Amino acid sequence: MAVVAGSSIATAALVAHGLSKRFRKKVALDSVDLSVPAGSVTALVGPNGAGKTTLIRVCMAFERPNAGRVEVEGVDPWRHRSEALRRVAYVPQTPAVYRGLSVDDHLAMARSLHSGFDATYARGRLDQLGIPVDQRADTLSGGQAAQLGLAIALGTRAKILLLDEPLANLDPLARREFIQVLLDAVRADGSTALLSSHIVTDVEDACDRLVILGGGKIRLDCPLEEARRTHRLTEADSPPAGATAVGSFLGKGGQKVMTLWRLAVVDIDGADGQSAAPETTSLEDVVLGYLAAGRGTAGLQLN
Amino acid sequence: MITRIWLTFKQHRFETIAILIVCLGLTGATLIEAYRLNSLNVPLSCLAAALGGGGPFAGGMTAPADAHCLSLANSFSSIQGSVDMNLVRLLLLLVPLLAGIVFGAPLVAREIEQGTAPLSWSLSGSRRRWLLGKVLAGVVLLVPLMLAVGLAAEVLEGALDPGVDTHAAFQNYLSRGFIDVFWVLAAFAGTFALSTLLGRTMPAVILALIVCFFVRVAWEPGMARIVLRPMAVEQTQSSQFGFYYGGGPGIAVAPIGPTPSIEPTPSVEPTPSVETPSIEPTPSSEPGGSSDKSAAYTPYWVQTDLYSYTQVFLNGKPFYGDPWSLPGYQMQFDANGNPIQPDPSTMPNWVEYAVPGSQYWPVVALESGFLLLGSLIFGAVALVWVDRRRPY
Repeated sequence: MAVVAGSSIATAALVAHGLSKRFRKKVALDSVDLSVPAGSVTALVGPNGAGKTTLIRVCMAFERPNAGRVEVEGVDPWRHRSEALRRVAYVPQTPAVYRGLSVDDHLAMARSLHSGFDATYARGRLDQLGIPVDQRADTLSGGQAAQLGLAIALGTRAKILLLDEPLANLDPLARREFIQVLLDAVRADGSTALLSSHIVTDVEDACDRLVILGGGKIRLDCPLEEARRTHRLTEADSPPAGATAVGSFLGKGGQKVMTLWRLAVVDIDGADGQSAAPETTSLEDVVLGYLAAGRGTAGLQLN
Repeated sequence: MITRIWLTFKQHRFETIAILIVCLGLTGATLIEAYRLNSLNVPLSCLAAALGGGGPFAGGMTAPADAHCLSLANSFSSIQGSVDMNLVRLLLLLVPLLAGIVFGAPLVAREIEQGTAPLSWSLSGSRRRWLLGKVLAGVVLLVPLMLAVGLAAEVLEGALDPGVDTHAAFQNYLSRGFIDVFWVLAAFAGTFALSTLLGRTMPAVILALIVCFFVRVAWEPGMARIVLRPMAVEQTQSSQFGFYYGGGPGIAVAPIGPTPSIEPTPSVEPTPSVETPSIEPTPSSEPGGSSDKSAAYTPYWVQTDLYSYTQVFLNGKPFYGDPWSLPGYQMQFDANGNPIQPDPSTMPNWVEYAVPGSQYWPVVALESGFLLLGSLIFGAVALVWVDRRRPY
């Protein structure tokens, strides 16, 4: 089977067509076409200002697109907000908790706002993590507050979870716990998750699909495994045959300029359909190559 | 909905508790002040003799007061002018506005400032329903409290103005009774509309304070001169050079003793007055006098009508030019230096119109209606904007 980058492999849970969003002169999203397959856990990776947050906010009807459209399970969030929000749950970057309210108050509030909110399920998730529901939310640690946000999102039993860099402010242990709870829930419910992050190592084990966003454009959109197999990292002056240069950046140790190459499809598929290129490139290198491509390589050249 | 109202109180517990304490404290303080005055049991005749009343020219017309009577009247006067009484009266004026502002300002803005709006708005399909839950909490808190404050203020007004039917006089009519409820609703709705528009608490508070100050200051004269004109009746007439008496806020024109009441006839055509004006109040200058109590004794400080507007007439017809340029106002002297009586047809006639106390309830109902209308408009603005704005 030929692997085609960016192909849609299943029913799409979230689709964007020519999506553009501009803030005065700054272009946040520039004709973005995206399809997130149902049941997938997709990593949305990109540098600060790449448009990750804007993309998620448009999906949540927090921002109105200037052009194009987005659909969550076929529903346009801007035109049919309440229908769309029944299908999507959101976890913001900064854990948003009400200072004067307890954890249980948060669950009560969620139940009063969202008709299908499953407080028992959310409370069960928190119990598993040992977060007392009678504790005031403003006394929770950063990791616990993030878990509360995730529990509320999971309690909505929405089919699509949009997570806007929820790991950014967490310590490594809290990050791992968060990812584990997320994966358990997604696998159990068969829901779809779009996880925005710029910490590649965190999403590497959790996600099955990678979307790299840079300068408001989609740079790469493919399954994670395909991203590893279709790219090679070499020194700048030794390109693989038939490969296309993606971007150059300083290698580990800062001594060499490394270049990420994208291999042609024929180079990685054998006649019997087995991969002829078992060696893979680390996801971090793939992401770095695309980020470097977005920035240009001038600043990365060695003197 | 009850859960959301309860959680709104919990979320804004500082504001909720502060408003509860201030309003209940003010209600108690107001009733205590009223009790202090009422417990004196000062006979009206004592007040009339000692303090005067019925108009600036009617003082000292009653029987001489004895020492006890004077002592009671002085006690009454000192309580009336005491610092605590003035503080209570000032708070009665301010608290309906401040309570509305304090609860309304953080309603939406704090959610945006603290980053909780995206959480709530992502959970609630309808932001309008979310906002309505919060607004309902404000209404549930503010309306009963302000009703208590307003009714206590009504009791105090009765104690401050003995012998006056407080529902037939406009003394402090905007800061007592059920109109307080509409003031607090207007301030609350205006402030949460600002809070929704600005998304910042302190700017919303500051802007709301400024707007409320100007609206409150301009409300009474504005309403009287613009909206209440159809209710106004003729109060005083004068053609004397730049002189008139009676009418106007805070100046009563009722003399001591029974006063004939006049029917509110909005289209009173004045007859041209050519005589030298008298300073004696004429029957047509009475401010309604619809109650026996106010007929018996009207303290001079009671505002028995709402000054509405002044109209200049010349030969019985409205005159819109410069009255000072009329020949009747140019002093003429004969050869001996004696003033020449001016031609009556060249003398302008000033007529003041005011809303009489008998129109108290229609006025209060109308003004409450305007405040309610304003509240609904502010609420609609907030509901429209909350649906369009960003949650950050």
